[in-house]
Amino acid sequence: MVERCFVTKDLDEALRIRKETGAHPLAGGSDLMVQYKQGIGITPVFPWPVMVISGIEELKGIRKLDDGRIEIGALETPSAIAASDLVPWHVRQAASRMGAVALRNTATIGGNIGNASPKGDLPQPLILLDAVVVLRSADSVREVLLDDFIRGSKKTDLHEDELITAIRITEVPYSYAYYRKVGTRRANAISKLSISSLVLIEDGIIKDFRASSGAAGPKVIRSHEVEDLLKGHAVDEVPSLIPAITEGWDKAISPHAMPAYRRGTTARALEHFLSAVATLPPGPVIE
Amino acid sequence: MTRIDDKVRRVDALEKARGEAVYLCDMRLPGMIYARLVRSSVPRARIVDIKLPELPEGYSFFSAKDIPPEGQNSLLMIAKDWRCFADGDVRYVGETIGILTGPSRAVLKTLDESIEITYDEQEPVVSIDDSLALKGGPILGDDNIHCQLVSEKGGDIERVLEGAARIFEETVETGFQEHVHLETNAAICTLEDGHYTFYISAQCPFYVRKSVAGLLGLKPEDIVVKQTTTGGAFGGKEHFPDVLAGPLLVAESYLKVPICLVFDREEDMLYSVKRHPSKVTFRTGVDKDGRILGSDINVYYNVGAYLSSSYVVLQRGVFHANGVYNFPATRIHGYGMATNTFPSDAFRGFGAPQTLFAVEIHLDHIAHALGVDPVEYKRSYFLKQGDETVTQGHIVEKVVLEEMLSQVAQKSDYFRKAAEYKRGSGRGIGMSFYNHGGAFTGNGEQAIIKAHLRLVKDGGHYTILCGQTEMGQGFRTALRKIVCAVLGVDMDDVTYDNPDTSKVPDSGPTAASRSTMIVGRLAEKAALEMKEHLGEDHYEVETEYEHPDGHPWEQATFKGDAYLGYGWGAACVELEVDPVTNEVHVLGIWSSHDIGKAIDELIVHGQVNGGIIQSLGYASMEKMENKGGHFRQSSMSDYVVPTSMDFPRQEWGLVDNPYEWGPFGAKGMGELVFNGADAAYIDALERALDTEVHKIPMPVEDIEAVRRDG
Repeated sequence: MVERCFVTKDLDEALRIRKETGAHPLAGGSDLMVQYKQGIGITPVFPWPVMVISGIEELKGIRKLDDGRIEIGALETPSAIAASDLVPWHVRQAASRMGAVALRNTATIGGNIGNASPKGDLPQPLILLDAVVVLRSADSVREVLLDDFIRGSKKTDLHEDELITAIRITEVPYSYAYYRKVGTRRANAISKLSISSLVLIEDGIIKDFRASSGAAGPKVIRSHEVEDLLKGHAVDEVPSLIPAITEGWDKAISPHAMPAYRRGTTARALEHFLSAVATLPPGPVIE
Repeated sequence: MTRIDDKVRRVDALEKARGEAVYLCDMRLPGMIYARLVRSSVPRARIVDIKLPELPEGYSFFSAKDIPPEGQNSLLMIAKDWRCFADGDVRYVGETIGILTGPSRAVLKTLDESIEITYDEQEPVVSIDDSLALKGGPILGDDNIHCQLVSEKGGDIERVLEGAARIFEETVETGFQEHVHLETNAAICTLEDGHYTFYISAQCPFYVRKSVAGLLGLKPEDIVVKQTTTGGAFGGKEHFPDVLAGPLLVAESYLKVPICLVFDREEDMLYSVKRHPSKVTFRTGVDKDGRILGSDINVYYNVGAYLSSSYVVLQRGVFHANGVYNFPATRIHGYGMATNTFPSDAFRGFGAPQTLFAVEIHLDHIAHALGVDPVEYKRSYFLKQGDETVTQGHIVEKVVLEEMLSQVAQKSDYFRKAAEYKRGSGRGIGMSFYNHGGAFTGNGEQAIIKAHLRLVKDGGHYTILCGQTEMGQGFRTALRKIVCAVLGVDMDDVTYDNPDTSKVPDSGPTAASRSTMIVGRLAEKAALEMKEHLGEDHYEVETEYEHPDGHPWEQATFKGDAYLGYGWGAACVELEVDPVTNEVHVLGIWSSHDIGKAIDELIVHGQVNGGIIQSLGYASMEKMENKGGHFRQSSMSDYVVPTSMDFPRQEWGLVDNPYEWGPFGAKGMGELVFNGADAAYIDALERALDTEVHKIPMPVEDIEAVRRDG
């Protein structure tokens, strides 16, 4: 019982339809078909017109741009992202752990961002890397920091005439990287908690430290104040700074369900990563 | 020619793997319309008013008032208190108030959503504790007790405990469990040759007709039930299909066209029966050397709003509350508590898993407190042939738990690891022992079921006629194989189809781990007689259940041999707990079972793997919460069952211990394999974390609480 349904393989046409009808894009359908299902034997009902965009070639591809950034087309699937050498490590980790194989072959990065679920797998590492989202309308194109684009649980800054066309990621150098997802089980799981972190060390000094937490609040959590606590310090000072960092991080996150678990595990994860970093292991990946 | 020790490919493997098997939701009968149940949205209330929207042409609504005067608003499921339609009041969320029918399921949904029901709500009773506290006033009688019984063995328990040097008191709790059969509940009711006829995904076709016939004042044999290929059940399709069949029959009596009702996954999760949550309390007295003198045990099961089959579930819980152990004295009191939750019902194990889990971890805790290895402590109480049971009967069969223990201990290297892994080191190994009484409790097989089976020879082909169903467990293969092995013919020479109650004799329900042991025996006996008539072109033989001698049972007092024989099990689990995330990595799973004799090793292997994974899911991640009468988990992404990634590797073994009255020596095994791995897992978890656990499930967030609170 779709009010109106459009199918297009042309981006310009899609943008025109979007502008004229307000149709919502449907790519893999792995969120929308579930959210708007009506039960067995009944067609899903959407409260707005729908536009099937999965055939638009311009929204596909993973490439390196002239300015050195990596661009991932909005229709790229977690499977393709996990398999691409161009994509940064944290993002590939998250993509490889999303749902089940069938979902990873169907879902899209644009959908995962547009859905803006706090439990979404891809926004978390993308926000760690200060990725930007490319938004196009029939009349304009803009780039917005993903952390700004996602405003809260299920809320984005997407304008009514815009489509997410791509994600662009600037290379972020690091000496050590960490990614952890705790799912409801070991495969085919929704995230109970996820965390990414990275540290860049130059001449024994922490040049960069970042962390991001998924499923720990209404949206992915980063805290630049807490990250700043470590920057500029010598590596051997790290152990003494861990309590302040985990405490600061605990204040930054606001998990609704399972708060004790999410807080406890997040603190232990950061402590685990930074304690390992302080020993200067060969790296770069800390398990 | 198929021999009993051949490993055969399951007869239904290809049609299921190829997607050719026809399930109920694939069926379209000419003129078929659809149905939708209209359900209560509140747990405890008086119905003040039901306002229906105007129904378009071709759409109808039926409720309690549409049951004819000669009928009764009751579904017979051992007890007959479960109403087909709520009438005047509602007692749980999801209770059927009416049934909507019509050609479009989308229209039915819209109509359902526009029915206005006004309730006068009362405070619901959700948990066992709510029920005991008579929260909001009693909902059943003056004490909320649906059913109760007590079993005593040895001296007066109060005197025994007075003489104890030390008493261990403990409460152990287990949660709801959802069956998650892959195929949801589904049924079609129609008229064929003047008979009300059901096509239905069900374990027990004869139960369905018996349960619903009274709604129209009919006799069970007036109704025909045809089982359709059933995609899993686990007990969830033992009595529950009656809840679909009843309203369909009432609607059919007016409409006389095929009516189809298929549950959505969400409906099947929220509005279907579950495993009984339990609370078991122990007061166990030991002497100065730590030897157990006796235990006073109270078993509380959350029965939900209706008794249905729960008295029998509770009996099984009580009769298994001593585990596989011989304690000198026990008093086991069982209480089935009424609540305003969806009625609890059959689920693989049928009341035994809860008390078996409780007694296992209780003994773990006592052994730990006494500073001895739990396995050594437990084995010193192993039941042996001739020992007195908690119902003052006796263990008739040879018990081979020692062999099973040594098999599992050897493969797992338990004793070395148990000594080596320090408590709290993050790594642990645990072991559990369990059993399962085969077939119906007490003299049920003789007094209630009286199973029959027919075997027909036409030329060189044989047809088995009985009411047993295939639901994924492999019985279509197993039963054909028994007949083949006796007659010396090929699997292809024997037909055994999904039962149709108008064509097959009633061999009793496919439940209680009785199919192979009881009905398989009837098939073996029929085939043995048939063997004498191989020269005849057409021959028919019908066999009837005969009760083995030497199993006295008094149903009125619950005294004697509660079961005809037991399956026995030992399981060992080794695991590691992630210090950062609390995720549990299971490193090894080892098991050994005494099932008498395996009719087919491949099928048994599948049952062992599946039963153990289901038990580990029960212990670890399968959390079904009920808040204010509403289940919180409604999909397969929030009610999480394990995948093979979670529990990847199992080593399994069997010990041969042929059972005198089973086909080729086989006993029941379908439930046994569920009954104990949970306790081995929790034992290992407790050792890894140096803590005590008193409830399951234990997902990562609950492990957090245990780690924090010690």
